[in-house]
Order: sequence, then C-alpha cells, then structure tokens
Amino acid sequence: MKKFLRGMAAVLLVALMLSVSGCGASDGKTHLTFQIWDTNQRQGMQDMCDAYTAQHPDVVIDVQVVSWNEYWTKLEAAAESNTMPDIFWMHTNQLLYYADFGMLADVTDLYDDVEPGYYQNHFSEISLGNISGSDGRYYGVPKDKDNGVLVYNKEMFDAAGVAYPDDDWTWDDLTEASQKIYDATGNYGYLAYLDDQLGYWAYVYQNGGYILSADRTACGFNQPGGKEAMEFYIGMQQEEWCPDQNFFTQNGAGATFWSQRAAMFMEGSWSLLGALKDHPEMLGKWDIAKLPKAPDPVSTPESLDQDGRACMSNGLCYSTGAHGKNLEIVKDVLKYFGTEEAQLIQGRSGAAIPAYLGTEESWRTAFEEYGDPINVDCIFEQFDYAIQVPYNSASPRWKSQVLDVLTQVYAGNQEVDAGLDKMTEIVNTETAKKLAGN
Amino acid sequence: MKNRKLSASARREENWGWLLVAPTIIGLFVLNIWPFIQTIYTSFCEHLGFGHYRFIGLDNYIEMFRNPDFWKATWNTVYFCILTVPVGIALALFVAMLLNAKVKFKGGFRTIFFLPMVCAPAAIAMVWQVIFNGDSGILNQILGTHIQWITNSKTAIIAVAIVSTWSSIGYDAVLLLAGLQNINKQLYEASSIDGAGKIRQFFNITLPMISPTMFSVLIMRLMASMKVYDLIYMMSDDTNPAMADMQSLMYLFYRSSFVAGDRGYGSAIVVWTVALILLVTLIQFWGQKKWVTYDI
Repeated sequence: MKKFLRGMAAVLLVALMLSVSGCGASDGKTHLTFQIWDTNQRQGMQDMCDAYTAQHPDVVIDVQVVSWNEYWTKLEAAAESNTMPDIFWMHTNQLLYYADFGMLADVTDLYDDVEPGYYQNHFSEISLGNISGSDGRYYGVPKDKDNGVLVYNKEMFDAAGVAYPDDDWTWDDLTEASQKIYDATGNYGYLAYLDDQLGYWAYVYQNGGYILSADRTACGFNQPGGKEAMEFYIGMQQEEWCPDQNFFTQNGAGATFWSQRAAMFMEGSWSLLGALKDHPEMLGKWDIAKLPKAPDPVSTPESLDQDGRACMSNGLCYSTGAHGKNLEIVKDVLKYFGTEEAQLIQGRSGAAIPAYLGTEESWRTAFEEYGDPINVDCIFEQFDYAIQVPYNSASPRWKSQVLDVLTQVYAGNQEVDAGLDKMTEIVNTETAKKLAGN
Repeated sequence: MKNRKLSASARREENWGWLLVAPTIIGLFVLNIWPFIQTIYTSFCEHLGFGHYRFIGLDNYIEMFRNPDFWKATWNTVYFCILTVPVGIALALFVAMLLNAKVKFKGGFRTIFFLPMVCAPAAIAMVWQVIFNGDSGILNQILGTHIQWITNSKTAIIAVAIVSTWSSIGYDAVLLLAGLQNINKQLYEASSIDGAGKIRQFFNITLPMISPTMFSVLIMRLMASMKVYDLIYMMSDDTNPAMADMQSLMYLFYRSSFVAGDRGYGSAIVVWTVALILLVTLIQFWGQKKWVTYDI
C-alpha cells in the first residue's frame, strides 16, 4: 500500500509539473500582459503598445479586457497569489488599498533621468492625487482624466421656447427650464437620479460643501453647504418634471434621455463618444453644456471660492505589481505610456482625455469623424475648477453603507436630515477605524 | 477492517477502488470541504486585505446579530422560501401530471416546460424586468394596475419569487414525472375496480407513491431558495429603494465580502446561512417519517 501511494504521489507531481511548465514562451521575446476593463478603449491601448513594440521588437504586449464587475475580484486574487498582470489600469477608489498594502511598484523615480519634476510639470494636481499612496509616493503613471457635463436635448428646448443652457446657468435656471419643458412638451426635465459621481457630489461641492474634508478625515454631508445641496438634489424627485427613484431603478436615466423622454441629464465625458456611436438617429439633436452652478453657495472656511462652480474629475493610471518578474522592462513600458507621444496616441484614438497637460485637445479628433456635433470645449474648460472625486482608504467600506442609507431616504423611510447625519457618522466611523488600524 | 486478511488480488482490487474514487474525493476535499473549513475560520477574523487576516473572535457575529439589516435579510430569505417552495412544488406536480397524461405533442410540451432551466438566469432576469416594469411593463397593462413591482418594498420579493418559481417548475416537473412513471399502473386499475374516483386515487395512490421523489425535490428546492442570490442581483441594483426588503442572506454576503471587502463579516453570514439550511434539512429528515412512504 505504501509503495502504491508513493507511486501515485509521483504521478501527481509529474502531472503538476507538466501543467506548470506548459506556460512560458519559447521565442526569446519578453511577453507582457496588459489588463484593462473597457472594451471601447482596447484599440487605443493596442495602438500605444504597438508604438512601443515597434521601437522594442523584443517585447510583446498582450492587451486583455476583463469586465469591470470581475476586474477587481480577479486582480485582488492575482495580487494574493503574486500572479498580477504585468501592466494594469488602476482606479482611484482602489489605489490606496493596493498601494498601502505594498502591492504596487513605486514609480516616483521613473522619470528622474528625463527631467526633474516630470510628474509635476506635465500632470495636473488631480492626476497626481490619483496616483499618490498614503505615503505620498507615486504608484502609477497618469492615464486620463474626465468630468461630468450636462447633456441636453435641443429639440425639446426649442419646442418649449427655452434658451439653451449657457455658462451662467444656475440651479434655478435648471429647475425653471425643466418646468417649462415639462409643461410645453410633457417630457421630463432634468433627470436627478441617485448617483454620486454623476449626481449629488458635484452639487455638494458647488454649494460650498464637501464630502470629505481636505485632509480626507471628516465627512461633510451634514454641514450647511452639503445639507442644502443634498436637500435640493434629493428634493428634485418630488417635482413633476423629474421621475422618482423607482423609475430610475427600472428604466435608467441614460435610456430615458436617449429614448427622447427627457430633456437633460448629467453624463460622464467618457460616455459621450459611445453615445454618438450608439444613437446615430440623435445626431445633431443634442449637445452638452457646463454643469449649472449653485446660485448662492454657502461660505465657510473649508469651502472653495469658485463662485458656485464645481465638477467632479477622476482619472485612471497605469500600474504594475511590486513583485513582478519583468519589473525593469515593465517600468520602461510605463515610462513610455506617460510620455507626450503615447498620451497623444491615446487621445487621438478617442479612448479618453489624456492626462498629460497640453495633449487634451487630441481627444477632439475622435469627434471630428462625426462632424464635431457637440461642444467639447466645455469639458476642457470645466477642468479649471474640477475637484478630485472624494475618496480615502476607507472608501470601499463606507461607500456601500452610505448608498444603503441614501436608498432609504429616497424610499421615504428616512428623513433627509437624519439620513445625512447617519451617512456622516458612517464615513467618520469607518475612516477613524481605518486610520487607527494602520 | 483491522483483522481482515486480504489476498494479493483482493488488495490490488481495493487499491484500484481507491484510485478510481480519488479524483472525486480529492476534488470534494479541495474544492468543498477545505474552503468550508476556511470559511468558518475566516468568520472569526477581520480581513486586512489581500488574504491577510487577524483573529478577532466573535466580533463579526456580534456585529451581525446587532445589525437590523441582517435580521431583515434572514426574514426575507425565509419569506422567499415560503413564497416559492410550496407553490413551486404544487405547480410542478400539477405540470408533471399533465405531462404524464395522454396528450398530443407531449414531447413538445415537456420541452417547453423544461426550457427555462436551459436559459441563462441573466437572460431570464432581463426579460422579466421588462415584464415587471412599472412604467411600461406588460404585466401592469394586462392587470390594468400601476404597481412598481420591482421597486415597491411589498412586491419586490414577490416578483423575484414569481420568476424563481417559473424557472424551476420545469426541472422539478421532470423529476416528479420520472416518479409518476414508476408507479405501477395495476394499482390504478385495481382501485378503479374497487370504485375509487380520480381524487381518491390521487391522494391514496399517487401522493404516497411519489412521496420519496417529492421529498428529494423539496430538499433541493428549499436549499436553492435559501441560497437565492443571482435573480436578486440581476433583477435589481444597489439604487433600488426596495433593496432592504428584497435582499437575501446570500446577497448580503456578496455585498459585504465583495463590494465592501469585509470578508470576515461575509463569512459569518455564510456560516449562519449554512446553519439555517442544516437546521431546516434536519427538521425535514425528521418530519419525513410522517409522510414519506418508502415501502409499497
């Protein structure tokens, strides 16, 4: 029996070894994997990799798309077993979690031989915020940036005899136009749906409030500016021109707008090119404008003096694992991804607005194909007063709990003010717990 | 086993036996038993990140039992079972009996009833979402109502139960059909000579004869209902105002473990769910003595 067992163990061992040694290329080139989550950007990423491999024929880069829903589960499992892809996109929500745990390679010194202060000279403060770990070091090369804009249906404005949104539009103009369009056409006005990045965040900051304080330790939902903005934003669903949350859960804001049942909604810059492609019948019937500003922002020592204007901006970065096998080569690729040349390739492909300062306009190329039908300029101009999306290392913990309370507020089971107090407490407690733990 | 003396050939045969069951046993251990032991351990830990855990004793359980959302989810799960299991099995038996009768296109009907089982749950959920849509859904149009099926806190879980029942009837019916076909036809003939009507036959012959099959269907259906997750995930989303009234234990587990990253807490929910399932199954095995007939 013993002999038999030993024999079996040997067979299993050989099988295991065979399966392990099965992978590994034999063409003498370095094969790198590059993991992303957006199919729409695949071509842009491929173009950039091709440009790199053209100069470095001994490197092969394989771009792999994993859907957003699986991306983080997969990446975390890969990080645990030290089998991360060589290069991958990193999101602001997750960067601190990975970086603080020592999972990401420190790329602060990447450009030291090129130009001192390379990052500071060529990327915005928000971009740098998105790549910084809690220790202030950089754990990724900035990829892109975005913000949210007001998308509107020109035909409905015309039908109601309302002037298109302009730079001086305030919340009052927004509600007034919504009412007029509803009265004249029977269509919904502005779609105020439950969402943070494409919803209430911007309103809170416009009104002189904050979600997280500048040092990211205190939450401001129940501070004067935040409270007033949240009451306004949530209250819009009480108006006849705005559907309620029941409707949004079942139908979606985007689908409602694109099926021409509503006049306005907030959309991210990253979705606009896709919208042009997906709704050819709407071409020329819609345009974008800057977000309306707060009419009378609350002024406190913490609030930003921006005349009631604000929009939320986020950006991704390219990162690599701290313990990768091909770290030196991968770092060279990352270094290339952060150059003006690579960011221009990304911009022209329409993938996203490049993070590299001065290359943003290249993104316009993709819209020219459609005859430049929308006012892309307002996106670029909004960067002047953009605010980095609020997050801290406890974000994963408080985000879903805050959402739970908010859905109860929208369901009418919870008073707005009590809900805001509860949300503030959740964020503060989770943040304090996290800070105490580290 | 100890004092058994085996001949060389018998021992060889035994070794072969071990070898042949090895893949299953190893698979069971590696994929089911070991992860389960780990889950129990994890439920006593705080997840620090990337597979690092810190032992915190009963804290997860204390937090869980204090959380009203958890008790709500437990009730939702039980309520979901009450909604789906009795009705589902009764309907499945009804369908099985229809399919067992002499009707034309029997094969066609069997295929149609089994079809939901073959469809991807995602596709099923998508179609039913459109049917249930409070604004433009066909169900409201037929009924002449304006019910927000998926977002009303009272109807949301009923909507999920309807879809779950609809998609499981076919499978359960096929199992019950097999049970029905094993019943000896002579029993019916003999009873009709004795003057028994159709209803009498159903309660005195069909039900007792099919009770072992029904018992296994009941256990399977109840376990599946207690673990419901995919339909809720597909038919709703985080911004649904009725989420608190429709989320099951498994959905709560998913959100804790994978959205909030709190795997210790999530594991505690899983352990609780397993304990519930175990309890219910034990009660069923005890209760079956009263109604399941194995010897006719």
